[in-house]
Formats: sequence, C-alpha cells, structure tokens
Amino acid sequence: MKKILCGAVCVVFIFCLSLAPGAVPTACAGDATDQIRETADAVIALLNNKELKKPENKLKRRKQLREIVDKRFDFAEMAKRSLGPEWNRRAPEEKKEFVSLFSDLLENTYIRKIERYEHEKVIYTGERVEGSYAAVRTKVVTDQGVEIPVEYRIFKKGTKWEVYDIIIEGVSLVNNYRSQFSSIINSDTYAGLVKKLKEKVKKESE
Amino acid sequence: MKKIDLEAAVGFFLLIGIFSLGYISVKMGKLEVIGSKGYTVYAEFEQAGGIKPGADVQIAGVTVGRVSGIRLDKNYEALVSIQIDDGVRLQEDAIASIKTSGLIGEKFVQISPGASEKYIPAGGRIRETESAIDIESVISKYIFGKI
Repeated sequence: MKKILCGAVCVVFIFCLSLAPGAVPTACAGDATDQIRETADAVIALLNNKELKKPENKLKRRKQLREIVDKRFDFAEMAKRSLGPEWNRRAPEEKKEFVSLFSDLLENTYIRKIERYEHEKVIYTGERVEGSYAAVRTKVVTDQGVEIPVEYRIFKKGTKWEVYDIIIEGVSLVNNYRSQFSSIINSDTYAGLVKKLKEKVKKESE
Repeated sequence: MKKIDLEAAVGFFLLIGIFSLGYISVKMGKLEVIGSKGYTVYAEFEQAGGIKPGADVQIAGVTVGRVSGIRLDKNYEALVSIQIDDGVRLQEDAIASIKTSGLIGEKFVQISPGASEKYIPAGGRIRETESAIDIESVISKYIFGKI
C-alpha cells in the first residue's frame, strides 16, 4: 500500500515538473497566439507570393493584404480608443466617418510598410489571457538580425480574437494617436482634425 | 523665577522647532499621516523603470493622484498601486504610461483617458499600460543591430 502511495506521489510530482515550464508565460501557446499566428502566416505567405510580387499585381496584392488584416483587426475599436473622450461627444455618423478615415490612415501608414517586408521572421514569445482580453507577445526579426518586440492586444468577439492595439517597442499605437488627436482637437477643433486626416489620407494614397 | 522663565522659553522654542521639522519632513516626503483620500487602482508594467512611491500621477499635466506602492508580481512584472483622487474617474480603456519629465527628470505616471462607457472601480486594474522606454537599449539595438 505504501509503495503504491509513494508511486502515486512520484507520478504526480513528475507530472507537476513537466507542467512547470508551461506555467512560465513564454512557453505556452494558446488559442490567442494561434489566431494571431494564422493571420501573420497568411500575410507572410501573401508577401512571398511570387506571382503577386509583379508590379502589375501591386493593387491586387494590396487589396488581398487589407482583406487579411481587416479580418483580424477591429478598426472601429481602435478608432474609438484613439479618439479618447472626444468619441462620446460625436454623433453616430461622425463616428462612422472617423472609423473609415482612421482605417484608411492605418492602411496607408502600415500596410504600405509591411508591403516592403520580405525576409522578416516572427517569433512568438508568449501570451497572457485574462477573461476576454489577451496580449500576444512577438518579436519580428529583420534580416539584419534586429529584434523588434511587437505586442498584440486582443479581445474576444465570440470565438474570434480581434486586435485593438499594437505595442511596438513599448510604444502603444492607440496611445500615440490618442495624444496626437487630443492635442489637435485642443488647439483646433474636431472638424479640423477630420480635415487634417482627410488631407493626409488623400496625399498618401496618391 | 527668572531662570525658570528662560528655561521655559528655550523649551517652547525647541518644541516649535521639532514640530516644524516634523511638518517639513511630512510635507517634503509626501507622507500621509492621517489616512489618505481617494481610491486605489493597480497597473501592471513590464518595466517600471525606477518609478518610486510618491511619484505623481497625471492626466493632461494635472496631478490627480500618486503612486502608493510598487512590488513584483508572480509574472515578474511590476505591480504599481496608484492612489487616485476621489472625483476622478478612469475609463476602462485609459492608458497608463511611465514618463520622464524632461530628459533626465523624475519619473511619473501619465494616464490618457479613453472612450469606454465603463469605468475602473476602486481596487480595479488599468489594463492598458505602456512601460518606461529604455532609450539606451533602443539606441544600442539600432547601433549594434546592424552587422
């Protein structure tokens, strides 16, 4: 009897030991990481598609890229968070207009940057889930070997995780825009901000 | 009789001196002697970057509270407790970031208010945080990164 008990304790102990690395946030990969990985892999696959790399397919490639990103990013939530307290003072039509402007702005600034990437690798360093919110930590390794920490802040919508903020090198995208938008609104007006955004989107999409 | 008067005067001034000293140290050290007002919220930072208890917490440059404590949590991250003045409510999507005043000034916590309809209750947590940026490591990464 004692032997059996001793054996059982041993098994439990070994089991615990094998679980221990899983308890460290860097080692476990869950549902949230899988979903982010799925999107990142799709983007990388698209960028490495030789057929789409041809200059005549540039617009097609951009469109497909945006489709992939659209599925994973919640631009409405990002726009809302970026606008901050001003968001609640806006009428529904204004909110809608702002969301579309904001996603165009992100497309111009980020999707075009991603387009130039080719040999970058993504390493997943960990995730943390708390209820319906989670953070997935990754590192983008450039071909020169520079590691750029990128953290995705995501929240659950049904079974899908959607991105509401990206933290690159410790700097939050939403907070960056939030401080810029609020200083523009303070020195100008909300209408002035919309005008500025429109000009920027127009200038960059030319 | 005269002697006693002199001694009493010295004692009196000494008492005033000790009292002033106590007052100054409480004021300068930002100590709270009789309970503190406001409510406490927590924020987890990957890198607290040398922020200290008593550091200011600001919204739009206005001090709305202060850091009441820092400790390491089970994820090896810094758990900062923040005392926020009553009457200041923080939205659920407010972002807390550790900033430095000037280039080498002291550290403070800056909170940028969000757009959520939900507010963080007393004892709640500011989920969105930005760690202190280690300028040195950022610079060295781009200097030494290229081979």
